Amino acid sequence: MREKKTTKKYHSQNKAYLYLLPAITVAALFYWYPSLKSIVESFLTVNQSGKILGFAGLDNYRRLFSDPAFINSLKVSLTFIALFVPANTFITLLAASLTRRPSRLSFIPEYIFFAPVAVSLSAYSLLMRDIFRGQASVLNNLLGTTFSGITSAAGAMAVLVVLGIFLDFGLDYILLICAFRSIDSSVVEAARMDGAGGWRLYWLVEVPMIKDTVLVTVFLALKDAILISAPIIILTEGGPFRSTETVMFYYYTEAFRSGNRGVQNALAALVLTLAALIMTIYTTYKKIKEER
Amino acid sequence: MKKVQRKPFDTFRFIMRKILLVLLAAIVLFPVFYMISSSLFSASDFNNLRLLPSHPVWENYTKALNQKYFIRYMFNSIGTSLITAFLRTAIVILAAFAFTHLRFRGKSIVFAALVLTLFIPQEAILYQNYRTVAGMGLLDTWAGIISTSLFSAAQMLLLMGSFKIQGKEIYDAARIDGASDPKYILSILIPLSGPAILTVGIQTLIVSFNSYLWPLLVTNKNSSRTIQIGMTMLGFSESGQLGPQMATLVIVTVPFLLFLALAKKKIETTLIRR
Repeated sequence: MREKKTTKKYHSQNKAYLYLLPAITVAALFYWYPSLKSIVESFLTVNQSGKILGFAGLDNYRRLFSDPAFINSLKVSLTFIALFVPANTFITLLAASLTRRPSRLSFIPEYIFFAPVAVSLSAYSLLMRDIFRGQASVLNNLLGTTFSGITSAAGAMAVLVVLGIFLDFGLDYILLICAFRSIDSSVVEAARMDGAGGWRLYWLVEVPMIKDTVLVTVFLALKDAILISAPIIILTEGGPFRSTETVMFYYYTEAFRSGNRGVQNALAALVLTLAALIMTIYTTYKKIKEER
Repeated sequence: MKKVQRKPFDTFRFIMRKILLVLLAAIVLFPVFYMISSSLFSASDFNNLRLLPSHPVWENYTKALNQKYFIRYMFNSIGTSLITAFLRTAIVILAAFAFTHLRFRGKSIVFAALVLTLFIPQEAILYQNYRTVAGMGLLDTWAGIISTSLFSAAQMLLLMGSFKIQGKEIYDAARIDGASDPKYILSILIPLSGPAILTVGIQTLIVSFNSYLWPLLVTNKNSSRTIQIGMTMLGFSESGQLGPQMATLVIVTVPFLLFLALAKKKIETTLIRR
């Protein structure tokens, strides 16, 4: 009897791993292995073909931080994060706030604000490249302005921020509008009875109730801002004069154009550590929140 | 309900809010509007920086559709995204089933290890993954494009949430009735979790159809590229022909815009908790 039970249990164990095998294989091959390899190789000297030549200590990190192009990319990324995260939070929250009360015609602005999720990254990047192509652009013609668009350093950064907002807008709006509509209407009514209206109702009752969702959108924006590279490949190729070369764009060019393995591994290890750190802070915050 | 008398200040604020809303909606809509409008431009309209076509022309669309690789790009995109959606959904269903229905040794460790993938941004391991895929000889193949996106811990957690609600009683009853696990999954679990599984499938389909960076890296030949890569290098822009490129963008984007119009209500009802 006892033996039978063990075999049955054992059988059930094999079965579970059979179902988990595809997931584990993909996770191991394309998440754990490359992460570990990046971190280990960042402390080694590896040649072009991937052969390990010896222990390098912190040499790869030293080389990374003594590369002026990397220092430049750090500055570019920090500038982008500082501009993009607040601007994105402000615009998406504004759009959701303006449409938070459903009415007969509210489906029109709602659909317009949902729509950006249907437009792909490369489509928006191509559109922005054309709309802001230089001083002679459709937008300047329309508004009578002389914005330099992607042809100047400051202009290219501004266009990149705008592009970033378009890429995140749809999802953030959906999350925020649904959070607003999930607020228990009796709470809002009660606050109204107490004489709170307009701004006071908005800031003291409604915004605090969607605080967690706002935090999610800020967190997503921060993640996207740190990792942004693909839109830059289409929009500016990092230019003009490296003014839009973010850290991850630098990583992309180092890894795929100059093939510098040591520097690339050191950078990958740093980004992985940073990502883990941010996620840990976020999940810890959420856990503390839930326990309370 | 009694009619509330609006104060003059309230009316002013109401109008300001509406103006702001219209302005914001116009800005958000502008790129899509410009995309559709300029897909009907003649070559001179681009140079004249027009907002609307001087006279709408359809030749951009015929040029786009007749582009040598257009059909091939679309075929690659639709093929890879359908396969990714199907396989990833299946893999995630199996994993979520194992974690919610079965007891086995090492469960919490495997679970933690799989959730750990949420902490790993694929952008940071692009190069290592590229080496792996290249080493397997999968460059310029559908398998290479699909490979890295076959699992999502976030979607696994989503399905686990849905599977847990059903409770183990049905599973135990099905087992007693002699139903095997695959039979239980196919004829009971999947039908009962329909909406959640459909969400996972559609989400994956859209994300993989629209993905850019990874397909760009693992494809070098025109014949193996997807449309998202292809439309940035259709060769139109060099020759100053933005029109066909815009037409391509419209062809790729409009189906998703229409789909969104249909799915909008559904998205809202799933996300609004009352």
